[in-house]
Amino acid sequence: MASEVVVQTQNLTKRYGDFTSLDALTINVTRGSILGFIGPNGAGKTTTIKILVGLSKPTSGSASIAGVDCVSGAKQIKHLVGYMPDTFGAYDNMRVREYLDFFGAAFKIPRKQRMKRIDEVMDITGSTYMKDRYVEALSHGMKQRCAIARTMLHDPQVLILDEPANGLDPNARIDMRQILLRLAEMGKTLIVTSHILPELSRICDTVAIIAQGKLQAFGTLSDIMRNLSQKRQFEIQLLSGDNVGQVEGLVKQGLGEEAEVESYPAEAMVRITTTRTDDDLARLLNALTKMKLGICQFREVVQDLEDAFLSVTGTGRKGAHGMEKASGPVTNYAKTNAE
Amino acid sequence: MISNPIIQRELLGMLRTRKAVMIQLLVVAVLAALVIFRWPTDAMADHSGMQAQQILQLFGYGLMVSLVLLAPVFPATSIVKEKRSGTLALLLNSPMSSWSIFFGKLVGVVGFVVMLIALSTPAAAACIAMGGVNPSQMLALYGILLLLALEYAALGLLVSSYAATPDSALRLTYSVVLFLVVITLGPYQFFQGNVQGPALEVMIWVRCLSPLPAVMQLMGHGAVGAQGITSDVNWVMQFAILSGLITVASACWTASRFGSKIFDKSRAQGKITDEQSANVQIYRRIMYLWFFDPQRRSGLIGPLTNPVRVKEFRTRKFGRAHWILRLFGVCLILSLGLILMTTMSTMSWGAATLGGIVVLLQMALIVLVTPSLASGMICGEIETKSWQLLQATPLSTFTIVKGKLTSAALTLVMMLMATMPAYATLYLIDDTLLTQIANTLVSLALTAVMALMITAAISSMVSKTATATAISYTLLVGIFLLPMLVWLGLDAPFTHATVEKALMISPLAGALKLIEVPQFVDYALIPLNWYIQAVVSVVSFIILVIRTWQLSRPR
Repeated sequence: MASEVVVQTQNLTKRYGDFTSLDALTINVTRGSILGFIGPNGAGKTTTIKILVGLSKPTSGSASIAGVDCVSGAKQIKHLVGYMPDTFGAYDNMRVREYLDFFGAAFKIPRKQRMKRIDEVMDITGSTYMKDRYVEALSHGMKQRCAIARTMLHDPQVLILDEPANGLDPNARIDMRQILLRLAEMGKTLIVTSHILPELSRICDTVAIIAQGKLQAFGTLSDIMRNLSQKRQFEIQLLSGDNVGQVEGLVKQGLGEEAEVESYPAEAMVRITTTRTDDDLARLLNALTKMKLGICQFREVVQDLEDAFLSVTGTGRKGAHGMEKASGPVTNYAKTNAE
Repeated sequence: MISNPIIQRELLGMLRTRKAVMIQLLVVAVLAALVIFRWPTDAMADHSGMQAQQILQLFGYGLMVSLVLLAPVFPATSIVKEKRSGTLALLLNSPMSSWSIFFGKLVGVVGFVVMLIALSTPAAAACIAMGGVNPSQMLALYGILLLLALEYAALGLLVSSYAATPDSALRLTYSVVLFLVVITLGPYQFFQGNVQGPALEVMIWVRCLSPLPAVMQLMGHGAVGAQGITSDVNWVMQFAILSGLITVASACWTASRFGSKIFDKSRAQGKITDEQSANVQIYRRIMYLWFFDPQRRSGLIGPLTNPVRVKEFRTRKFGRAHWILRLFGVCLILSLGLILMTTMSTMSWGAATLGGIVVLLQMALIVLVTPSLASGMICGEIETKSWQLLQATPLSTFTIVKGKLTSAALTLVMMLMATMPAYATLYLIDDTLLTQIANTLVSLALTAVMALMITAAISSMVSKTATATAISYTLLVGIFLLPMLVWLGLDAPFTHATVEKALMISPLAGALKLIEVPQFVDYALIPLNWYIQAVVSVVSFIILVIRTWQLSRPR
């Protein structure tokens, strides 16, 4: 049985004059899943989020949450969505409990339920101990917890969190991860943007990669990685840089024009990006070792979300060796239909 | 000194702002108008120098008022802005000494004011050219203005080093400046002739804190308000001494803070009375009468209460119950003090004098308090990025604006109510004054509404609270006091009709007329004064609604 789609955008487009901030974005997010919404700065993430929470109107296309149109049903959307912007929005001289009370009252939660609900959300986010502190005096990690508690107050179906792990220390980041996983377990649908991709890859079921307003890749993390892994990356480490040129030539000869081969004499290394099978690679390795060129390692570079992101956004990779690497064509991995 | 990078950055940064250009153009335009309109065109020459003296008076008072309004704007926000943006920490971490940093800032902000004063020199030269004005008189005036600029800049920087936000720094600096200019005149004004010896000396020195007596002496108005009592005090010299001392003391104090002190502050732990020992709980509950304890755990927002109103009370420094109680108390004490002085026959005040003082007190409260209550109303939310959080809630724009306006209005009403006993005394002195008192109260209510609406409208039109606060103070003080400057020039150079037209826009003049203060009874100001206030309020409200609607709709 197919999972229920909660968040849906169809050819969502937003233009500011000549500038297209968002270009025909189509995504579906199912109930209880966590969508990692990633893209470089200015890619159109915040524009999408603002349309979803009813703070911005699309130029064309549509967006809906739980069947409610984000433009015509803006009032209902406010009850369905919990929005946490990338800035906290602190009020001076207000204690955490008063802060949550204000937003609870703004969402018209009856007083008795509100008291219970404030305790619940503070418990879920582990912020009960700070209930009497002033919000402006909270540390960044505390503020993020408080912000998530605020977002959950009215028990929304969908939580949209803009950079929740930004600026957090490792411990706070782990805590934040646990909180988000707990929310997903509770049946909440989460849309999370982050620049900390390894963090995101640990919690997301689905990933949408956006660049220059266009969706570059969309699907489950494993789908994207599978698509990406059609092109695998290998590194040949030599004992010295003297034979790097010779190895590069042999690799090009062995794998043909399809393979991208780069050599780094200073590092005594050759990097290969290819779609060839393991058999082809075994033959190549055999040929290279027979030449006695001082090869000490032949290793596959494990691909992660960061690689996927760099690959599909075409931003290149700053390798461990300080070399800029151009990526392959991004359209190979684009999958614009969630189904 | 000129190689100090802070001077260049402060001064150039300031000169590049639109605000600075506007201020300079305004000063030039006003001074040019003064010369154009008052330059003698008659065939007959004025050998007595009367006309030149009249222009000098307008020029001197106008320049002083402009400086009082403009001088605190830049220094008040200078340090606190750097503190919040993190650049002050970088400066303190540089090899620059604390004195270099302080002087850089002082010279930077005073430099702009000096430029404004310099812009007035052509008008001053024209004044001297007319004859009848002694150049040394003009030099003394410029000396006072320069001291004034230095003093308020040093005070503004001191306040800025303590403030948490630019708008709170502006509020506090303006309060200090208005205290120094106006309130310090009170003791001498009220007690002259009744006090002798050291007490009189103290009152004279207190009066010298204000630049007004010094400027009045230079303008030949030294005897105004002296009630016939002659005095040989050299107000100019005493003002110069005090002003210099305040500048030096403020400079030392501020420079001493440019070290670890300015950042060495722990975060508030948010201690709650309920969680402290039994003794502390009992003590605090008695001392704060339970309800007014700021450390009390507050109750949840009620079902029929506008949550925005409660939020405004809680987030505003003076919105918490204990602060409102304190402000209410101060107003009540001032009001009761007036009653006491009247009923104990300390002063031979008639009903009109007492009424005039009460009206002045209330108008000063409105001008001082309203911008601090309402200048951050809309732009404060935008500045802290909490506006989008409000938009993400089901609260309508109407509810948000209503909550914000009522919270400011309630605080204002409470403070004005504390001054009401003085009116009761007025009625007891003379029961025929009932109609005048009722009309004055109408005028007061209209004034409060107008001040609130103007400030709220400004708050919706700019993006920073500090800017809104500065504009609101300047505009309100301008509306209240500029017509009074014209009134000072009655018959010399302004005619009765001109003064009447100018007073028409001043809420203060309207209220003084209604309470029948002798100097204002001859002017026909009401009801046109009320209509003007009502129209300004309605227009401001419409601007507020339109701007808030524009900010709230999805873009």
